[in-house]
Amino acid sequence: MAEDKLIWSELRRALMTRAGVSEKDATSFLNAFQTQLIEALKEDKQVKINGLGTFRLQPVAPRKSVDISTGEEITIEGYNKIIFAPEAGLRELVEKVSVASSPAEPDPIQKLGVQAEEIVDILGELGQSPEKQEEPESPEEPEIPETPEEPEEQKAEEPEEQKAEEPEATVIIHEKETVYVPEPVYIPEPTKDPEPEPEPEPVIIKKKESHWFRNLLIILLILLLLLACAYYFLPRPMLESWRDKAFEWSPWHAQTEQVAPVEAENTEAIENQAAFAEEEYPEFDEIVYDQLIVTERMHYASRLAWMSYRFYGDKRYWPYLYDANKDHLDNPNDIDVGTPIRVPKLTAEQRDLNNERTRKHLEFLRKRAEKAMR
Amino acid sequence: MLTKDLIGLIANASGMSKKDTEQLLSTTNAIVRENLMDGKSIQLQGIGTLEIKERKERVIVHPRTGERTYVPSKNQLVFRPVANLKEELKKI
Repeated sequence: MAEDKLIWSELRRALMTRAGVSEKDATSFLNAFQTQLIEALKEDKQVKINGLGTFRLQPVAPRKSVDISTGEEITIEGYNKIIFAPEAGLRELVEKVSVASSPAEPDPIQKLGVQAEEIVDILGELGQSPEKQEEPESPEEPEIPETPEEPEEQKAEEPEEQKAEEPEATVIIHEKETVYVPEPVYIPEPTKDPEPEPEPEPVIIKKKESHWFRNLLIILLILLLLLACAYYFLPRPMLESWRDKAFEWSPWHAQTEQVAPVEAENTEAIENQAAFAEEEYPEFDEIVYDQLIVTERMHYASRLAWMSYRFYGDKRYWPYLYDANKDHLDNPNDIDVGTPIRVPKLTAEQRDLNNERTRKHLEFLRKRAEKAMR
Repeated sequence: MLTKDLIGLIANASGMSKKDTEQLLSTTNAIVRENLMDGKSIQLQGIGTLEIKERKERVIVHPRTGERTYVPSKNQLVFRPVANLKEELKKI
């Protein structure tokens, strides 16, 4: 489209004839225009010319990059880019040029048609090439001396055929004479090409895609996450009370209630577990912890059982710890971080796990602690 | 900088009156326009080239809705600065 240029001298000539000025004036004007435009760009970084558009210097920020050969980081320094923004009117005019003067749609098709013909020609030549070398020799030179009558007839026939069929394809002639395998395969492609080309011109193609399944999955995931968060962040007592209520309502609970008493009558152990009361352990007095090893603050991820293991060498002594601190502890499983825990010194008897009485005592303390847990 | 200022500068440099300069500039613009309409590119000596380039037709896809729209080909006016000037104005 923009193959022919309007060069500077042509512009000057047109200016002379149009505005009726001398060559000298036109030259000096154009030179001044050139230099002053550049100067103005340097100075103001923006020059507006009515009826044409705006020349502008646009800064390009420096950016980091990597040297391809060495892999080092380098910074590409910022620079200015010259940009020309045509006036709205001119822009629209130029767009119209595309619609009016250049028939954009038939062009490619025509090109394709021409290309197809060229390809056919080339194919024909390729097919001919081995024989073309023979042909000029065979029909004209060697045959003439041998049979001068026949080649004349052939000559008379051939040019007619060629003239008639040349624009379409010279290949066809050769198909008649000799059979070529690749040609019939190649020929239909170029001739078909230009036909389907104009068809795919849908202005708007809407993709019908249903994302409902994906959306459903996402919603389910979000719900699960919310539930998990709620379970994690809600205060424990509230959750526990809910759980208890749920347990009361559940049908399984009713069944266990019916079964439990029957079994409880049979075995004493279950009775003990089911209903613990302090009165059942009358022989134990409250222990007075007078000697302390240390007073430690509860830290994150610690437990009474763990502390008992550290100080006494066995996790089973944890009820003593709870007992010693029961004045300010509620739930032995849920102790706030930073709570001071008194670690008492245990007597030999208290630590003797083989002693029946000590075991009983520990069990009593543990059950009392678990009662507080509920 | 506006056209008026540029006219003043050109008038100073060439020694012509502002009125003549303005007329010459508008004539130049008219010539440039007409030649562009004829499909010619304009070579501005020492500055660059103004030419019409075809932007090809294409199908765009809306990223969210997946809707496909056909954008027909159109022509754009493009300015290509001369290499000299480009380098000169890079650092200011």
